Amino acid sequence: MSGDIGDRSRVGDGSAARRLPRDVVVGACVLVSCAVAYAITFSFKQAPAALAQNVQPASFPRLVISVIAVLSAGQMILSWRLPEKALKPMPWTIAISAAVMIAFVIAFDALGIVPAMVLLCFGLPVLWGERRWHLIVPYAILFPAAIYGLFAKVLGVHFDPGLFGPW
Amino acid sequence: MDAFLTAASLFADPYLIGVVLAGTVAGVLVGAMPGLSSTMATALLLPFTLTMEPIPAIALLSALYCAGTYGGSITAILVNAPGAPPAAATAFDGYPLAQKGRAGQALGIASVSSAIGGIFSVIVLIVAAPLLARIAYDFGPPEYFALALFGLSMLASISGEAPVKNLMGGAFGVLLATIGMDFTTGVDRFTFGFWELSDGVHFIPVMIGLFAGAEFLLQSGRLDRVVVRAAVEAVKLPSWLDFRHCLPTIARSCGIGAFIGVLPAEGGTVAAMIGYNEAKRWAKDKSKFGHGDIRGIAGPETANNAATGAAMVPTLALGIPGSATTAVILGALLVHGLRPGPHLFTTTPVLLYGIFTAMLLANIIFLGVGLLGAKLFARVTLIPVKFLWPSVFVLACIGSYALQQSLLDVWIMVIAGILGFVLKRYGFSAAPIIMGLILGELVENSLKQSLIIFDHNWLRFLDRPIVVTLLLLTILSVGAPIFRRIRARRRATAETQGGPAQ
Repeated sequence: MSGDIGDRSRVGDGSAARRLPRDVVVGACVLVSCAVAYAITFSFKQAPAALAQNVQPASFPRLVISVIAVLSAGQMILSWRLPEKALKPMPWTIAISAAVMIAFVIAFDALGIVPAMVLLCFGLPVLWGERRWHLIVPYAILFPAAIYGLFAKVLGVHFDPGLFGPW
Repeated sequence: MDAFLTAASLFADPYLIGVVLAGTVAGVLVGAMPGLSSTMATALLLPFTLTMEPIPAIALLSALYCAGTYGGSITAILVNAPGAPPAAATAFDGYPLAQKGRAGQALGIASVSSAIGGIFSVIVLIVAAPLLARIAYDFGPPEYFALALFGLSMLASISGEAPVKNLMGGAFGVLLATIGMDFTTGVDRFTFGFWELSDGVHFIPVMIGLFAGAEFLLQSGRLDRVVVRAAVEAVKLPSWLDFRHCLPTIARSCGIGAFIGVLPAEGGTVAAMIGYNEAKRWAKDKSKFGHGDIRGIAGPETANNAATGAAMVPTLALGIPGSATTAVILGALLVHGLRPGPHLFTTTPVLLYGIFTAMLLANIIFLGVGLLGAKLFARVTLIPVKFLWPSVFVLACIGSYALQQSLLDVWIMVIAGILGFVLKRYGFSAAPIIMGLILGELVENSLKQSLIIFDHNWLRFLDRPIVVTLLLLTILSVGAPIFRRIRARRRATAETQGGPAQ
């Protein structure tokens, strides 16, 4: 909740008028998602009447989905033809970092927690442009060791041994 | 009284004092670090408390909450980068004062006013929570349904800019809470064949993802940001003259913070903004505001800390979170097998008084820690972000995994992080989703039970005065911000149409 993402500068040229407002596009995406979620509720099993007591498992989710859809439509109406601020382009490091997040979980599963942490603690600072090797190398060794020691040895969390385990 | 004395005697144990001290120091450090909020820190710290007894665990998180709210002021004053959102208003006058070479005075005012606000809020908590719990004792499912609805409706006013988006976020959280096996019929919903999802989506990985994961991505786009720190010689206690000058502001902000904090879903950020605005509005000479007026620090700092204890009132007495951080603390209570609500006051009074004592201690400790160590804590901004944020991400993953030792929770955290970032980019907040996720089960179950009681006659909700009052408040809290938004829209449209012609 720490504020906005990037600086938003006001769109001053006429091109904004020709474009759909951002909140309208977002609202349309939400409406489509609501339609999909609503369709999924038809795949829920029907419960026997005595058990369901007139409230089938799909009833409440459908009610909530409808509320989201109504709110989304309201948001679209409120934002229609409203001047809006342009979003700052997303730096490439964000996309890289999101990919690293996913890669880390795959490595956690395939290699085990310790190699995954070492790879992340070495690779991510390098990807972000850090070149002070005298800081990177100790960090990539000591931080994962400390975290593994704390969780596995002190707090008793079980980690699968992975490719190179047990540790 | 017996429970209070028992709880107080527990704090004779050096272990518990150490836990509160550790929570306070960690809170100030985390609060001081831009990007690391106390909400994120409590979410990250929660898995560490799983092996602890409930009293030290909740005491640790409560101390971190109080101190984290104060810690944000240090970097707001010295770096002009609020460590946490509630400290954003502190930077308006804190940083200009630091630039004038009066950083010590600014930090001193921030520490003292934060401690006064915090201690006042704990007194409010001690008085108001048992009273509210006594009222809530007679609540049945219809009242709880209306109350949860009111709590969710308050999301509309968290951010005046996007009331509808906040409500959408809350409803999305409620929808997430329906994932898993339906409580009454045993039918799986939205599980897509994954048996692990039958138990539902645990809110802790979602919470860690939305707060820590999304912030990790956000910070990865700000790697080149240079932090310029104002020089500080020593933190000074405010002089009697300064204190007298700020006293009316502090008193007003105590009331503002406590009132805002008690309201479900509202928190320190809203309280601080109102505290600042009111300090300025009541000042005879407004010209110094924005250029380094100490009342511009005392107002928001008292208000945001006064909201901390007050936000615990609905959390503990009703099980409705008063703020994003108290939503995490509510989650911690659930993880430790405790159900927040009026029964907590009769079943585990020692725990409650333990929380009150821990928060009181934390406020006293952070005053000392802040006055002595603010200069040192400001150095956390020197930690290279290229090492800090990978560490936060690793902690987020391990913390999510540790809860149930399931890789699915890590995936949920990562997905929540990416989703949280995208939502933030398009103007949605994470807090409403968490509120909805936590309140979702209560909303669904109380609605189902109410419908059974009322024989599916919706109009019978209107037979109960408390329900009617809460529903009216719900309509007001949803309607007012949306109405304001419509008026703002009309004004903006008129300006746009009039603009080119001029």
